[in-house]
Amino acid sequence: MTTTTTDQPAAPAPAPGPAARAVDLVKTYGRGDATVRALDGVSVEFGRGRFTAVMGPSGSGKSTLMHCMAGLDTPTAGRTFVGDLEIGLLDDTGLTQMRRDRIGFVFQSFNLVPTLTAGENITLPADLAGTKVDRAWFDLLVGQLGIGDRLGHRPNEMSGGQQQRVACARALIGRPDLVFADEPTGNLDSNASGEMLAFLRRSVTEFGQSIVMVTHDARGAAYADRVVFLADGKVVGELAEPTADTILEQMKRLGS
Amino acid sequence: MWKVTVKGLLAHKLRLALTALAIVLGVTFVTGTLVLTDTLHNTFTTLFGHIYQNVDFEVRGKAAFSSDTGAAVRKPIPESVLASVRSVPGVAYAQGTVSGYAQFVTPDGKAVSTGGAPTLGFSYDPNPQLSVLRIVSGTGPTRPDQVAMDQGTAQKYHFAVGDHVRVLLAGPPQTFTVSGIVRFGTADNLAGATLAAFDLPTAQVLFGKVGQFDAVDVLTAPGADKATVQHSIAAVLPPGVEVVTGQTVADEATSSINDALSFFSTALLVFAFIALFVGAFTIFNTFSIIVGQRTRELALLRIVGASRRQIFRSVLLEAAILGLVASVVGLALGVLTAVGLEALLKGFGITLPSGSLVFEGRTVVAGIVVGLGVTVVSAISPARRAVRIPPVAALADYQATEVESSRRRLLIGTLVLAVGVVALAVGLGGGTIQLVGVGAAAAFIGIGMLAPVVARPMSSVIGRPLAALFGMSGKLGRENSMRSPRRTAQTSAALLIGLALVSTIAVFGASLSKSATSSVDEAVSADYIVTASGTGVGGFSNSVAGAAAAVPGVAAVSTVYGGQFEVQHSLSTLTAVSPQHLSATVILRMDTGLGAPALAAGQLLIDSTTADAKHLAVGDTVPVTFAQTGSSTMRIGGVFKPNALLGSYVVGDGFFLSHFDDPLPVAVLVRATDGATPATTRALEHGLAAYPNLQVQTRAAFEKSQQAQVNQLLGLVYALLGLAVLIAMIGIVNTLMLSVFERTHEIGLLRAVGMRRRQVRAMIRAEAVILSLFGAVIGVVVGTALGVAFAASLSKQGITDIVVPYGSLVVFLVLAGLLGLVAASWPARRAARMDVLSAIAAE
Repeated sequence: MTTTTTDQPAAPAPAPGPAARAVDLVKTYGRGDATVRALDGVSVEFGRGRFTAVMGPSGSGKSTLMHCMAGLDTPTAGRTFVGDLEIGLLDDTGLTQMRRDRIGFVFQSFNLVPTLTAGENITLPADLAGTKVDRAWFDLLVGQLGIGDRLGHRPNEMSGGQQQRVACARALIGRPDLVFADEPTGNLDSNASGEMLAFLRRSVTEFGQSIVMVTHDARGAAYADRVVFLADGKVVGELAEPTADTILEQMKRLGS
Repeated sequence: MWKVTVKGLLAHKLRLALTALAIVLGVTFVTGTLVLTDTLHNTFTTLFGHIYQNVDFEVRGKAAFSSDTGAAVRKPIPESVLASVRSVPGVAYAQGTVSGYAQFVTPDGKAVSTGGAPTLGFSYDPNPQLSVLRIVSGTGPTRPDQVAMDQGTAQKYHFAVGDHVRVLLAGPPQTFTVSGIVRFGTADNLAGATLAAFDLPTAQVLFGKVGQFDAVDVLTAPGADKATVQHSIAAVLPPGVEVVTGQTVADEATSSINDALSFFSTALLVFAFIALFVGAFTIFNTFSIIVGQRTRELALLRIVGASRRQIFRSVLLEAAILGLVASVVGLALGVLTAVGLEALLKGFGITLPSGSLVFEGRTVVAGIVVGLGVTVVSAISPARRAVRIPPVAALADYQATEVESSRRRLLIGTLVLAVGVVALAVGLGGGTIQLVGVGAAAAFIGIGMLAPVVARPMSSVIGRPLAALFGMSGKLGRENSMRSPRRTAQTSAALLIGLALVSTIAVFGASLSKSATSSVDEAVSADYIVTASGTGVGGFSNSVAGAAAAVPGVAAVSTVYGGQFEVQHSLSTLTAVSPQHLSATVILRMDTGLGAPALAAGQLLIDSTTADAKHLAVGDTVPVTFAQTGSSTMRIGGVFKPNALLGSYVVGDGFFLSHFDDPLPVAVLVRATDGATPATTRALEHGLAAYPNLQVQTRAAFEKSQQAQVNQLLGLVYALLGLAVLIAMIGIVNTLMLSVFERTHEIGLLRAVGMRRRQVRAMIRAEAVILSLFGAVIGVVVGTALGVAFAASLSKQGITDIVVPYGSLVVFLVLAGLLGLVAASWPARRAARMDVLSAIAAE
């Protein structure tokens, strides 16, 4: 198991500092007149052991923010931290290690390696790191997600919801400091969406997992502890203990 | 990561198989060559060891020099040596041997053909311990009218003991009775050579060695000290005669055969490496496409924590597994090929001594190292590309903004091409053949790198007529081939190389053929040229010239001899013609000095090329050595313009006959009073009917047969290069399959909006034809340039005319187009079979 992970299941940790934060983050694309400022001075903190949703209309910069904070993309200016580790100071090897050991990912689609079985996909990060998988934790996750009977199947033999649950298990198996979920329910029907969001919620409440979820679905964001609103590359508001109604209300206000 | 790699491989078995095929074929070629030559090597070593195992010593003339066939030229020894050797204490038995030319005539009057192997005559030694010949049935020859025949000939032409058989000899043909059937050691014959054995006195007469032996074989008495005996024998020998052990003779025989074998195996290996080189391009291309198609998967691996090194190793590992599997399959097929080739040789009448296949450890290592090495090296560049894939590429909204570093590519490509061209130029201009090979390889890699630059415009031009011909399908095929110029160029690179080599050979061959034939009219004024038929070596009977001269209508006859001698201490070929009918039979254009009178005076004539190269002029004296008469000097009597028939050095036949023992004519030139007429031809053929091994040809017919020989050789080279073209075709099939797979969605869309299956097939075919023609056009242009350069560099070696065979080149282009059609058939069918709904639904 990795040394950076100190959280224990079912024991919500006190929050000594944010799980990740960004300071004056700027990201521009293109040059000259065609310059697009995808992020325009974003400073934000994501609390440890908290479920944070990032919302905003298309082109608001929410995906770019996530990519920069996860070390997938390099910001034009500003600093990003995972825990107290400054991402900008890492080289490719450092970034790879950080992604592998401290961050979990769930995407909207194309989450799994098509040639590997579900079980193999879940243990892939550990296999890549050459470490042993915590069997008890594996069984617990698989049980919670209800995919115990699917472990030998290939992705193309599973439904979208099942695939997404496998991706969840893979994101959580290494007990990362932070899980980034990018529109995780975007391709799911409402039933599967509900189950997925409930599981994410539970993993925060019961296991103390920190999660940041990018979404544009108010009902999904309502599962979070806190919602951060983005528009035109800037943080334009936030909401604690949200409900679908308060979120919609806030969105309406921002949109006007 | 290991698991990801292996599972990835297993998930794409077809892709694996197609890619591996290129390597399998190359390794098969390498292994087959090595196994075959090792086997032959081993068989001959065993055979000669077996033959000479009982001979303690051989007494023979010292080698004057080694001729270029590897066998030393030795002077016969006087018969008196035998008596001296027999008188040496410790010698239990000694007997003289002679050998020479003897060719059997089949019952239906044709000369026994050997496919190029010699027709050997031996004296038969009745002592079974000494004789290289083992009696199978009947008895050894004991009377002047008896001959023992090799089992190979006896079986092939159904001769039995007691039958009569005509034998062609240096003198007039004679008829003998078969006294027995013999084997050469354990073999039915010696690698296709035929054997005729006579009793010793008869052999001496027939081979023109009365009072002489070629060698004396010696057995020592039991218990005698061999070193002492050898010493004592040496003491009684006259100067110029030596005594060596039987082992030495066996080793020499083996090594001269091995020299020939190693030439054979080198030639085959060159083609094997060409095949592998082409295969490398195919693998490079396949891996590039695979990496491209797996971008998202590789990026996903990067996101969940695979390091760059792990990705790099994963791609290389995939290549290594592929290379290893392909090499092992190639090894197995190579062994089978060797077995097949041996059977093929047997089919041609070349029976090899019995011996099992030799599969040396070195063969396994070479096959695997070559197969594995080529695959892994070809995958390095695609693996580096895989490493550069950013993790974000896994995300759905990621747009590949691949910055084509075309300028860098252009620069490096130009540089590599330049290095290749320089190496080629230096290599052709007098450097080594290795330099030519490296230069060609570098030039091809450079061209491969530059090809993408012209791929778009060229595909557009090539595709235009197709678009006009096949409407929408043709147009889409053309668009597809233009869509990714880099892939188009990479895919056709293998075919480019294959066709470049074929075109090089075509230009070179046409030039060679033209030079060889245009020279006949300029070299010979005789109406007929009489030579030994087939590829027979060793010439024919001395009495042919006399027989031809007696034919009515024949005005003049001249005999041409050829032999080896040393001039200025380097081994060269010497040609002899008779001075008295010189102008009637040979066109000898003198630069300086005299022609016929100089020949009659026993002086040496040289051609102007040699005179220039060696700074020789009329009146100079040069040191010469002959095997039979030793060293002396010769005066240069004249310098003539290069003549294809005569070669570099010419003497008169009188001089030649006094310096060579019993030489056989290589050709008889006949001048007829009325020129070549059908009547004269018939008369000449009738007059020479006693010599069925001869062919009487007019100048035109001779030219044609010379051309046919060149063409036969070219055919063989084409067949060997065909393998490279086949591998190139596999590469195209592979790429098209991957492209079809990649465009599943797009093809589904086209089908959904109404494209018929037939139109889908036409589209894929059009693309394939454009791909093939693109490679073929560049290949033919490059190959033609290479061929012209190659031919031009050999102008001094007799290639005087440079011919570009436009017809053949056009045929190559058409064939390449057809090849594209064939390559497309499977991918096209697969694309057409695609289910519309699932194709659209597929992500």
